[in-house]
Amino acid sequence: MGILFTRMFSSLFGNREARILVLGLDNAGKTTILYRLQMGEVVSTIPTIGFNVETVQYNNIKFQVWDLGGQTSIRPYWRCYFPNTQAIIYVVDSSDTDRMVIAKDEFHAILEEDELKGAVVLIFANKQDLPGALDDAAVTEALELHKIKSRQWAIFKTSAIKGEGLFEGLDWLSNTLKSGG
Amino acid sequence: MFSLFYGLWNYIFSKTEFHVLILGIDKTGKTTLLEKLKTLYSNLEGLPPDRIVPTVGLNIGRIEASNTKLVFWDLGGQSGLRTIWEKYYEEAHAIIYVIDAACPSRFEDSKSTLEKVLRHRDLQGAPILILANKQDIANAVSAEELKRYLDLKELDERPYMFEAVSAYDGTGIQEGVDWLVEVMERSKRTEMLRVRAGVTGPVSI
Repeated sequence: MGILFTRMFSSLFGNREARILVLGLDNAGKTTILYRLQMGEVVSTIPTIGFNVETVQYNNIKFQVWDLGGQTSIRPYWRCYFPNTQAIIYVVDSSDTDRMVIAKDEFHAILEEDELKGAVVLIFANKQDLPGALDDAAVTEALELHKIKSRQWAIFKTSAIKGEGLFEGLDWLSNTLKSGG
Repeated sequence: MFSLFYGLWNYIFSKTEFHVLILGIDKTGKTTLLEKLKTLYSNLEGLPPDRIVPTVGLNIGRIEASNTKLVFWDLGGQSGLRTIWEKYYEEAHAIIYVIDAACPSRFEDSKSTLEKVLRHRDLQGAPILILANKQDIANAVSAEELKRYLDLKELDERPYMFEAVSAYDGTGIQEGVDWLVEVMERSKRTEMLRVRAGVTGPVSI
């Protein structure tokens, strides 16, 4: 799996530093996904500014993960992580219907950020292994993805625990970034 | 005063940006068409057909043709995903509807889906280019045959054209785009969208 990933993303960005943000509410499965991809060690940092960012450096691409939602006072610090972001991977717990509205609001709020205007968006409708999980069409509806009109997006049903759907999504991502986003 | 001239300047010289929706049921070649458009009309090399996967979301292509900016929205065609199409209707200047001309067993699905699109009030007056795609395949039906088969009643209220194309090798695409640009430039719908966007030109002093 790691080899496949190397093939997909090597030379994608040349020598440029690139960033892919992996975002979502807490407990959506973001860290599990990173571990599943087996790209390297997930390093967890709790900087003094007070929010926890996990980073995986893969060649010249930095995957950075943090939880959306919660405390609004730390949000300005998120912006430190926005420059050079080529893509956002938004992870949703498809079985957490109670918090779907929050997931939607947080998602659209982050897309408003100027420095993220050019980033393409990949949505993982995660936890498909759980009973009652919404399918891709239902998550599309719930997150109001149709409001995205100026950038490319795609949604994939995933189960991070079983490792399903992740590579299909990343395949789309690398294709999209190659064809100019 | 400056803003008045600026507005006038913009009105005369700015290129209008047209939004074109690419619709059609799954596996008809919408994304292949989009990538071909990118290859033909921009300096981006579109994805080759063998790299294209089914769309579950939105692909976007920005090109310039006949001195006009075109933005293509390519939406996934699987039946579960068709519900989001209508969310993009209001802002669309025109539609490209893609049909796999080499797959008669799915004509009925294409026809009923298209009829639903044509009936939608958010698409009133929107010009439509209906593509009999996959002409590179030997048994593909012609644009004429497809037109006869579809027998659409709702077409008379809008500019429309049937065109035989191959998104795979590029046949017919240029003719289609030329027609589209021409009808969009003088369609009532374009005028309506312009007014709604608040760009009424120099008259608004």
